[in-house]
Amino acid sequence: MTMLEVCSVNCFYDNVQALWDVSLKVEEGEIVALLGANGAGKTTLLNTVTGLVKPASGHIAFMGESLDGVKSHEVLEKGIAYLPEGGRLFPDMSILENLEMGAYPKSLWNSRKSSLDRVFEVFPLLKERRKQMSSTLSGGEKQMLAMARGLMSNPKMFLMDELSYGLAPIMVTEVFNIVKRLKEQGITVLLVEQNVHQSMEIADRAYVLENGRLVLDGQCNILLDNDYIKKAYLGL
Amino acid sequence: MSTVVNIVIYGVIMGGVYGLIAMGLTLQYGVGKILNVSHGEFLMLSAMTSCTLVKAGLHPLLSFLICLPAAFIIGFIINITIYRYLRKVSKDEATFESNAMLMSFGLYFILANIGLKIWGTLSKSYQYYSYPVKILGATIAVNRLIILAIAIIFIVAFFIFLNKTRIGKSIRATSQSTTAAAMMGVKINRTMAICFGTGGLLAAAAGVLIGMALSPTAQVGLSNTVIALIVVVLGGMGSIPGAVLGGLLIGLVGQAVSFIDSSLVMVANYLMVLILLLLRPKGLLGR
Repeated sequence: MTMLEVCSVNCFYDNVQALWDVSLKVEEGEIVALLGANGAGKTTLLNTVTGLVKPASGHIAFMGESLDGVKSHEVLEKGIAYLPEGGRLFPDMSILENLEMGAYPKSLWNSRKSSLDRVFEVFPLLKERRKQMSSTLSGGEKQMLAMARGLMSNPKMFLMDELSYGLAPIMVTEVFNIVKRLKEQGITVLLVEQNVHQSMEIADRAYVLENGRLVLDGQCNILLDNDYIKKAYLGL
Repeated sequence: MSTVVNIVIYGVIMGGVYGLIAMGLTLQYGVGKILNVSHGEFLMLSAMTSCTLVKAGLHPLLSFLICLPAAFIIGFIINITIYRYLRKVSKDEATFESNAMLMSFGLYFILANIGLKIWGTLSKSYQYYSYPVKILGATIAVNRLIILAIAIIFIVAFFIFLNKTRIGKSIRATSQSTTAAAMMGVKINRTMAICFGTGGLLAAAAGVLIGMALSPTAQVGLSNTVIALIVVVLGGMGSIPGAVLGGLLIGLVGQAVSFIDSSLVMVANYLMVLILLLLRPKGLLGR
């Protein structure tokens, strides 16, 4: 089943076109990587899915249902979680309160206790330190908390923006391992990354975005052998 | 000895009231970035309305039930009309912040003059537990103690609201990161309107309390706005615990200084803020 379908999306910031006729598909249970340099339009594409940015034209559908004109809190309730670039935690709230905010919509709030239990199973460290202020966490821990907060809405699909950015190599491996575990639990993941090599290793398929246009897509094991990818993104 | 007790008790009482006013101001600024110069007018309108109603036969405590919801609704409506529009037409957050402050000056003139038109310049008062008791050798009017008790109840209730309820948490989240809160599904416009209304409600609560013992006039608004500003800067812009702490400090220092010469109170307040700003520009509990 197709989880997410983006169809010919064009998007502008003022007069500058940020996305040109972008189409992509994510199937249920997949990890799909969306790769590209800074400013390629990756975050913009995610923002059109979550309803934060309105595309000028094109359509977006989630599990066959149109997301056109749907507000961001409704997108969340439909089962799409979003981890924004840099995590965007609430610095003066505890780990527990940050997690609770992940279940903020009314339909999720009442079941937040059971969501917490589920999330703490994946992140036992967060349970131990749930009273700690999020501003005191390390970079890797912050990303873990941001992932955990996304999981509080019990999503079918998880959009992650620059999950590995700014993390120590050992933490990158660790957060990517968690992404693999989420896949095993049946969560579909769209991973926006600049870390091309490692994200291609855990992803099933990848799309490459350049200057707002999709230039390449395919199975990761095939793309890893692609000459252009090797030269432009892997430095080989 | 009884002088010191007197200063401390009266200082704490005024501190509680100041804390209440300042919490409202800091909430409006912390979440909506509106430095509300008309804040004290909510207090004035509520104090005068409450006094008028009590004179007409209403029980003082029941006037809370009229003044507080009214202030909340007026604040809420002002926010979803004027300020929401202003936010929409301001090109960025900094422009909005300065426009919002100018707009609140306008509101101040309107509300202050409505008050003057209705009540003139004479003070209003009523008798409510206005007999003294002796505490540790100091003589205190019972109504002052009631004021303190009610102020504490409001402050505690507000803390519980902010820290334990879903809406309270969404307010704190919005003040820490509007973007992230929106991503979590918080309806930002509504949250900002709730905050502005709640700010007005807190000022109105302080207004009813002032009406109980301090014979307000229709001119008490601006001086209370100024005190709230001092308290908020002292405690740290946007910090709710800072507002309570700052309120207590200003209340205590005010009482101590007025024992020497009451015309020096504002001088002492400003000096305190000046020194603090030099030593700790963020305020006592600012982030």
